[in-house]
Amino acid sequence: MTRTLFICSTLAFWIVVSGLGMISLFRMPEKQGTAAPGEKIITPAELAGHATPEDCWMAIRGAVHDVSAYLPEHPSRPDIVLPWCGKEATEAYETKMKGRPHSPYADEMLEKYRIGTLGKAP
Amino acid sequence: MHPWRLLSIPLLVGLFVALPVYWAYPDELSSWRAVGIVLGWAGSGLLLASLLLMLREVRLASWLGGIERMTWWHHWTGLAGYLVLLLHPLALAAAAWSESPPLAWQLLSPFAQNWPVWVGWAALLLLMGGLCTTFASRLRYTLWRWLHGLLGLGTLAGFGHVLLLGIDAGAVFAILAALLMLVWRLIRVDAGAAAKPYVVRSVRRVAEAMVEIALTPLVRGMPAEAGQFVLVAFFRGAHYRGCGEYHPFTISAIDSDQQFRIGVKALGDCTRRMQGLEPGVEARVQGPYGNFLLERPPKPQLWIAGGIGITPFLACLRSAPVEQATRLLYLYRGDADAAFRDELEALAATNDGLSLETHATGAAAPDLAAILPDAHELTGHECYLCGPPGLLDAAGRLLQSRGVPSSQIHSERFDFR
Repeated sequence: MTRTLFICSTLAFWIVVSGLGMISLFRMPEKQGTAAPGEKIITPAELAGHATPEDCWMAIRGAVHDVSAYLPEHPSRPDIVLPWCGKEATEAYETKMKGRPHSPYADEMLEKYRIGTLGKAP
Repeated sequence: MHPWRLLSIPLLVGLFVALPVYWAYPDELSSWRAVGIVLGWAGSGLLLASLLLMLREVRLASWLGGIERMTWWHHWTGLAGYLVLLLHPLALAAAAWSESPPLAWQLLSPFAQNWPVWVGWAALLLLMGGLCTTFASRLRYTLWRWLHGLLGLGTLAGFGHVLLLGIDAGAVFAILAALLMLVWRLIRVDAGAAAKPYVVRSVRRVAEAMVEIALTPLVRGMPAEAGQFVLVAFFRGAHYRGCGEYHPFTISAIDSDQQFRIGVKALGDCTRRMQGLEPGVEARVQGPYGNFLLERPPKPQLWIAGGIGITPFLACLRSAPVEQATRLLYLYRGDADAAFRDELEALAATNDGLSLETHATGAAAPDLAAILPDAHELTGHECYLCGPPGLLDAAGRLLQSRGVPSSQIHSERFDFR
């Protein structure tokens, strides 16, 4: 019985995971945010060019933020945050300590560092 | 079994699951994300409980109702932990799906450059691989045991995933607890640090593929009782080279000065080699374990032994005459396999309470319906079964169908894989 349970659950897991993979292949990415009027559109390639602690951009929920000035003040260890520089970091932003998302205060603060909207790759 | 012993493992497992879930319980999160996090911690708790249940300390085994129960729960908590951890990423993906379907794949994708996700996948794949080999019962025991270790690595990698997510306190505690139990098991059980040194005193052939080995302690021995079992590994002698693996053997006799005997049937590579054991071979012994036949109520008894399963009953009869009316059914394939039959007949002749029935069943499955007593003969009996798993299952079912409550059916099986 345990063997059957293991085989069935493992197969079901892989079916779901590969299903999600297929869906992402066939659907257009929806990570681009809604551009605010007159706001700069930043491509993933441009975002990737700002991946150092001194020049750190992150895309969160479709918007790109230049958080270089804020990084020294961030409460967690630098090695938790720095790998996300130059990347789409929504998941990381929403799975803070104990899986909690950042507070509305953090959301508000993030807004101050917004510099543009994440666009499609050219 | 005492109710506390019966409840000990479920309570312990409940605690191992409840504590991390309570500690990490997420507030103000979308429901799927909260489910995902709770599943992650519940799975971690189940895996930690499974690790604790693979320890073989005599006192711990006694508190938790014996090694057989611990092994059963070790299997189930390990499998349950794996199942729950399979759902953990899927629930998080479901949370992402509610925002945008492609986000769900982005969260799971091992192609994203993200160490927490990579290590999470590595943990899950190690658990998957470890369980694949766990269920491969045809593997040689030595190889099987090493591959089973992948599950320990998978558990550690899982906690590494938690650490990389930045959940320092929980991850460090879990890693330390897992390491402590894995190292404890490796040193105390697998490397034999908890074992006592013995030496083979004599070897007697009792059936075609079975020997009885007498062991003498080199230092102070252990206080074993008839019906218990020990884990024994044999090493070098003048002309013998043992495989050094610990295997369970039931004690077949308790002699003076903490010496004892075990029955060894050739069932695998290692036990086949043991048929050639000679006096003077070094051995190491862990235990004693088990309470089979130790807490017998003052009621008439039915004992059913299949092949090598005769050993715990023999140890009991050799140690003292039975006090209750006891019917012993001894099943074996043929005369060449009928170990100890002459001695049992002699014991039955001098022991008024004991009646012995021997059955040569041949190579086919025994006709238990004809061999086992009828329902009216079983009323009020306590039934003790020891033998191959197939016999135990079939006899247990038949006894229940003849009105014996499951609480009055006790069995001993050595399936520690």
